[in-house]
Amino acid sequence: METFSALMSGFAVALSLQNLLWGFVGVTLGTAVGVLPGVGPALTIALLLPATANLDPTGALIMFAGIYYGAMFGGSTTSILLNTPGESATIITAMEGNLMAKRGRAGPALATSAIGSFVAGTIATLLLTVMAPIVVDFALRFGPAEYFAVMVLAFTTVSAVLGNSKARGLASLFFGLTIGLIGLDTQTGQARFALGIPELLDGIDVVVVAVGLFAVGETLYIATYFNRDTDKLEKMKGRIWMNRDDWRRSWKPWLRGTALGFPFGTIPAGGAEIPTFLSYAIEKKLTRYPEEFGHGAIEGVAGPEAANNASATGTLVPLLTLGLPTTATAAIILAAFQQWGLQPGPLLFETQPLLIWGLIASMYIGNVILLILNLPLVGIWIKLLEIPRPMLYAGILIFATLGAYGLRNSWFDLALLYGIGLVGFLMRRYDIPVAPVLVGMILGPLAEQQFRRALAISQGDVTIFLRQPISATVFAITALVLFGPPLWRFIASRRGQRTG
Amino acid sequence: MMHRRPAQAGEILISLGLIAVGTFVVVDAQSIANTVGTGGVGPRLFPYLIGVGLTLCGAVLGWQAISGGWRRMVPVPEHARPDWTAFALISGGIVLHMVVIGWAGFVIAGTLLFVLTARGFGSRKPVRDAIIALVLSIVVYLIFTHGLGLKLPASPLGVV
Repeated sequence: METFSALMSGFAVALSLQNLLWGFVGVTLGTAVGVLPGVGPALTIALLLPATANLDPTGALIMFAGIYYGAMFGGSTTSILLNTPGESATIITAMEGNLMAKRGRAGPALATSAIGSFVAGTIATLLLTVMAPIVVDFALRFGPAEYFAVMVLAFTTVSAVLGNSKARGLASLFFGLTIGLIGLDTQTGQARFALGIPELLDGIDVVVVAVGLFAVGETLYIATYFNRDTDKLEKMKGRIWMNRDDWRRSWKPWLRGTALGFPFGTIPAGGAEIPTFLSYAIEKKLTRYPEEFGHGAIEGVAGPEAANNASATGTLVPLLTLGLPTTATAAIILAAFQQWGLQPGPLLFETQPLLIWGLIASMYIGNVILLILNLPLVGIWIKLLEIPRPMLYAGILIFATLGAYGLRNSWFDLALLYGIGLVGFLMRRYDIPVAPVLVGMILGPLAEQQFRRALAISQGDVTIFLRQPISATVFAITALVLFGPPLWRFIASRRGQRTG
Repeated sequence: MMHRRPAQAGEILISLGLIAVGTFVVVDAQSIANTVGTGGVGPRLFPYLIGVGLTLCGAVLGWQAISGGWRRMVPVPEHARPDWTAFALISGGIVLHMVVIGWAGFVIAGTLLFVLTARGFGSRKPVRDAIIALVLSIVVYLIFTHGLGLKLPASPLGVV
């Protein structure tokens, strides 16, 4: 009941003309950047950070959240029509969805992904509404030791669970943590790793890192290795609407996709890739039309699309209630909170209830707007796909340099931008994940702060992390995540040797 | 059995780079004034931990690189045919932009960057690109300076 009245007051905030407008701008921008290959929500929000520093945080955060889940809607359009995922979370959709389009069924593919995204987004927002207060209640018991423990868990899962290699994921994380060290130490005011350069005393701005990795690095990578490729845009033939059969075959995958995506978003294992792959595998197993998989089965679009949307909303649970970002975009939204001096977590629910609940309420509205934007108006977005590649990437670089230079009008930031762009280029080329850099850089300083606070409380006794039941449990889970799988393989291979 | 590839120069160099940065972090951490806070943890501990972590990652990756290559790399056929001209054109565009923006302003610097990048992506119509670039940079300039209150340098001609 308390939650209900909080949500209602949130709707009062979200339905104000100004915030409706921000929400509308957010989901529209989100759909656009989701559609455009080469631009994602993390890059877009990072570019808007400097320009929104003086705005009202509620409106700006409503816009940022809209960009985040709006991009999940838009990404599927590109996947279906171009067979290039507009977003990394829509890779699976690019398979079955594009095959549907090739068979002249682009309309139903677009419809099932838009409606599935809407269903998943709305159910996930409902789950967020119900779960957030419960997690907050639990998190109120957290002290610095517990916070440090969950942050270490998030570091581990983001870098060691996702991606192809633990070593590369952890290297990426530690690189991000190193960037996070640069600047003045928050507790003693000592300069660290500023190398005598005054510009580095403030630390390296998250905008420069995100834009360098996502815009400059990506542009260099595509230009160097994929310049000769030409994309084939599938025509949208016929009506967009789904027939009876499409509906019958779609609704269960939507619900199953939601049930998979949301929990994966909420646990700090971040990213929508795993649940979309799982959803695809499950639909392939359960379908009554297995022969259609690999030739454009609608279930293979409906399930993964619902999963990626539910998971995007799910990541807001740890972000809002614990201040834990588990994806690159969530890390940048956390940086956005920080630019107004706000720290997401249980206390923010008490000090800024209208902001938090306004944000949550805005997501119900945003999902409805997105359904309209992506179904009847899908034609507008398809036009975006006709922008020639040279123009698209040249435009991306204009915005990238604008974002870096606009911070403080210093050429030094542009030099940094290019340097980080080169790092991003190498990371793409050598299959090193990028998200851990951002999570490490933004969450690292907070983790250090909690660690030092915890030791101040325990007067230097390091065992505090293992004596508190919650933090000990979390550390045990972390160890399991890190060392469980190789240990399991080791035991299995020993057993195999003995029998074989 | 594991598929073995010849040791890749790039993988070894990146691993060495990680070790170098990690070692630098550990060494340079000694120059941080150690004002020990309450609880005995000063500003040096985390740099030590992070530097050691980075060095270890570099060491593991380096070992992988010389023993069959980094693990579970997804083969990308396009990597065999890099287009370094495109890379150089775009890099040149970014560096030129950095040198020029201070005195020539946002619009001119942006136009140069746009034309060079488009060329890098294979466009053969520099005049058309320049016109598109001018219009785009002027619109962006006006939106961000007048609309959103960001400070950007104007060209020597004034106005935008």
